[in-house]
Amino acid sequence: MMGAVGRSLRGVRLPTRGRDWRLMGRTARLVLGLPTYAAVAAVASVLSLTGFVVSLNVSLVLAVVVGGSLPLGSRLTILAELYPFVGTSFSPAQGLLLVAVAGLTGVDVAMATYHFREHGLNVQQGGAGAAGVVLGTLGAGCAACGSAVLVGLLSLLGVTGGLLFLPLEGLEFALGAVVVLTLSIYWLADGMRGGEINGCPVDI
Amino acid sequence: MNRRRYLTLAGTGVVGALAGCGGGSGGESGQSVDDHPATAGLEGLPRRGELGGHVVLTFEDPSCSRCAAFHENTVPKIRSNIVDPGDGAYVVRTYPVVYDWGKPATQALESTYARSGDAFWSLLDHYFTQQSQFDADNVLDRTETFLAGLPDIDAGAVVADARNEAHDDAVQANITAAEDAGLGETTPVVLLFRDGEFATKANGSVSYDLIAETLGVN
Repeated sequence: MMGAVGRSLRGVRLPTRGRDWRLMGRTARLVLGLPTYAAVAAVASVLSLTGFVVSLNVSLVLAVVVGGSLPLGSRLTILAELYPFVGTSFSPAQGLLLVAVAGLTGVDVAMATYHFREHGLNVQQGGAGAAGVVLGTLGAGCAACGSAVLVGLLSLLGVTGGLLFLPLEGLEFALGAVVVLTLSIYWLADGMRGGEINGCPVDI
Repeated sequence: MNRRRYLTLAGTGVVGALAGCGGGSGGESGQSVDDHPATAGLEGLPRRGELGGHVVLTFEDPSCSRCAAFHENTVPKIRSNIVDPGDGAYVVRTYPVVYDWGKPATQALESTYARSGDAFWSLLDHYFTQQSQFDADNVLDRTETFLAGLPDIDAGAVVADARNEAHDDAVQANITAAEDAGLGETTPVVLLFRDGEFATKANGSVSYDLIAETLGVN
């Protein structure tokens, strides 16, 4: 009884048991074992990380990477310097978290694409993945600006100043993205239960 | 329908985040440093190096952790590669938009700058290197203790001015300059002027290499 309550919150299934996590790992491994979907995951990861970092400096990218008169080498250097572990915009912890969010986004998109093509996709699964991407982008913003941006955004909801009390200075949003993306991956894996991927059964 | 909803959600979220985090463009490319709204009163601002070449103009909050990272990682290279060879200037506008203690700290910085440029730079470094020690209740007491250890500055007078916001006009001028230029509040905000013309605006503790490539310097 308690287990059932723990696993579902108002009908939402949560990965609370070891076998749930093994199911997620096995399903992700099977999907990513297909070259096409591995490529989808890689492209989605790079694009999402690019989206996170470019979102902080849209005007810079438009002015000197896309536009302007700098040589190609300079443009590529400037773009590369926006990424964690290449430039100095993020601390190691912030960079690690953003890369994790981007990696999970790639896995999520690859699994969603597979699931959509094979079985269709329901609103809960798709919505959770999109929420993860949005939270990841907000997390990138917070990591660099020390929460000022989010204070502005959240003031629209009447929570001005509340973010300043977050101990990780807004990086909680990136952590939130990890949670949402993990849930999305779980729901996708759960939705594929009973099926086969590349001839291998999903169930364990 | 599901796919469309998925893409709509993702697109709306990302575009919204882009709009929120990116802020404005910071000005028109090619605009003269003399005409740019962010440079109002440029001659009177805290500055390393001489005007006339490249200008790196930053809006910084002493309580902002990424501003501290910018000072630790990027500013020394700006000084050694751009300022010291005489290729340009590094200019700071104090910009209290992050934590509460940044506001009295900014008042203290402007009150210090009104008396001594050297003491201003020392105090700014002190705020960034000791950032975790400050809060809104202790910042002015700690500021007075620090300034008392510097030569040729009346620490008590600076802190009294800061409490009375005697140099608030300088703080407000910086805030107005940021608003006029549409810079947003993602600090540090770094405006780059290549040979006196606006090149672009960068948000966050961007690297020296990014700045050097944009300005075309080594």
